[in-house]
Amino acid sequence: MVKTGKDRALWLVEETLRSLEEGWVPARIFNDPDIFQLEQEKLFTRAWVFLAHASEVPKPGDYVVRYIGQNSLIVVRDEKGDIRVHLNACRHRGMQVCRAEAGNASHFRCPYHGWTYRNDGTLVGVPAGTEAYGDRLRKEEWGLIPIRVETYDDFIFGNLSEEAPGLLEFLGGFEWYLDLLNRRSMAGMEVVGAPQRWIVDADWKLGADNFVGDAYHTLMTHRSAVELGLAPRDAKFAMYGESVHIPGKGHGIGLISDPPGIPLPPFWNYPEEIIRSLQEAYPSKEHIEVARRTKFVHGTLFPNMSHLNVMIAKDHKSPPTPMYTVRLWHPLGPGRMEVWSWFLVEKDAPEDFKKLSYLTYERTFGPAGVFEQDDTENWRSITKVAGGTYSLRNRLNYEMGLGHLQPDPAWPGPGVAYPLDYNEANQRNFLRTWAEYLLS
Amino acid sequence: MARLSNMQKLKEEVEAFLFKEAELLDELRYREWLELLTPDVQYLAPVRITREREKGPGLVEGMAHFDEDYTSLEMRILRLETEFAWAEDPPSRTRRHVSNIRVGEPKEDEIPVRSNLLLFRSRGDSPQYDLISCERHDILRRVNGGLKLAKRVIVLDHSSLPTHNLAVFL
Repeated sequence: MVKTGKDRALWLVEETLRSLEEGWVPARIFNDPDIFQLEQEKLFTRAWVFLAHASEVPKPGDYVVRYIGQNSLIVVRDEKGDIRVHLNACRHRGMQVCRAEAGNASHFRCPYHGWTYRNDGTLVGVPAGTEAYGDRLRKEEWGLIPIRVETYDDFIFGNLSEEAPGLLEFLGGFEWYLDLLNRRSMAGMEVVGAPQRWIVDADWKLGADNFVGDAYHTLMTHRSAVELGLAPRDAKFAMYGESVHIPGKGHGIGLISDPPGIPLPPFWNYPEEIIRSLQEAYPSKEHIEVARRTKFVHGTLFPNMSHLNVMIAKDHKSPPTPMYTVRLWHPLGPGRMEVWSWFLVEKDAPEDFKKLSYLTYERTFGPAGVFEQDDTENWRSITKVAGGTYSLRNRLNYEMGLGHLQPDPAWPGPGVAYPLDYNEANQRNFLRTWAEYLLS
Repeated sequence: MARLSNMQKLKEEVEAFLFKEAELLDELRYREWLELLTPDVQYLAPVRITREREKGPGLVEGMAHFDEDYTSLEMRILRLETEFAWAEDPPSRTRRHVSNIRVGEPKEDEIPVRSNLLLFRSRGDSPQYDLISCERHDILRRVNGGLKLAKRVIVLDHSSLPTHNLAVFL
């Protein structure tokens, strides 16, 4: 019997769960309207989704507008200094009460009929309230709808579900790696400027899949950067590392060291001020030891937040500088996403380093970045083909590392680690978790 | 009258410069484009976000899509010349529509110029295309009798860019 609509989507997800054990997945999962709808209903309603960094809303009243799925949300620091997330919809007719992307406001006033809310969400003003409603309207019951919010360090996450487990349980050990990236200084990290945003005709999972474990693509996709010397002059440089995933949680990370014969400076080549400060700020000795040999880190926090912390050169005449970006692969529709990309730096880093790190980021990643340009080109192409009917039968190979790699018992961090970053265990774990959300 | 005609001449020279620049980029003649830039060129496209009217045009301080100097622009062109610049190989078909050219009062050897740019970009066999709209605030400098681009600030008319990458120059 030919399956259609939601039935076919569920069959595809079950097929994915089965086929991952054999090391393949149906290409169709990367461009299908019913899969997209299922993701919206089953995944983005229950997973913790990254919204903003606290440094984007430093003062009371500061707000930014962000999204989970197609839901517009206001992330605001209220007058008491607490971070709150509200559904960006007036309780009267559902109009967006906040139509700028960022700003500072003590109140949000709906342009439609003027209902006015304090930045903590309380409904405080209803024009002609007595004439229009008599004494019926109970304002205390009609505040902006609060969205569940939790933060880890300064990273703000939202969850549309009241029943989903808390953020720490959701991270399931991945916070060890967040510490490695974000606790290099007691002062913490700051977002510089605002995130870059751009539209890519590609499935959001391709970004997540790439960052969670795909060190392998650097040898061909980013060959131009290797030839120019922006990355180590060994096309296989990204192989020499550890790939780690958190089973059942979907998160994964790759930590890459020096390629053979190309010794690189320790601690990502951070300036000495940061290297001194990380030795005090890191929560464990193991963090210091891992950081000492780490030069390139890529990872995905399930479902759609990724991290990249690498030492690369801003041009063909400069030495490598470390830069750190987090990004969201925000699904917009079947085969279509918006990328949000933030650049972060240690708040207390020297100013000249901050500038150099920013330039390194802007020239290599983001929409004009010479690495990322080629990634989005590839993901569009995959997505286009995945929209064809043959993609239901087109098996994409996910066998890398299956069978021939054994876990590394000496790895000091949480999760299952393998001593090679050319490995697709992280991708398999990501898609397995994705499938489990869609089927449960 | 003489002054007016000097200004008219300058305007024609600036127009010819910007049209030639657009031609070189549309024809993928990147090396020749690089020759139009001064060695101390600044090339900037700030991130732009939606702000309330009283907060101004929403140009973000400290974060840009392009923040380039001569060396980094040269790097981008060297990259396009490798065999591995997938983003533009096969290349996009582009057409730069340059209009609303406004030549300001020259200061010594530098001429402030504003122009509008509408970039049409088509890739592969898809009938879809990207349109990128911006205003460019340029400083052109008189060098050895000719003009060179010394500074460009690209004021984008987009918050979220309607294209999968900026592997093109604006």
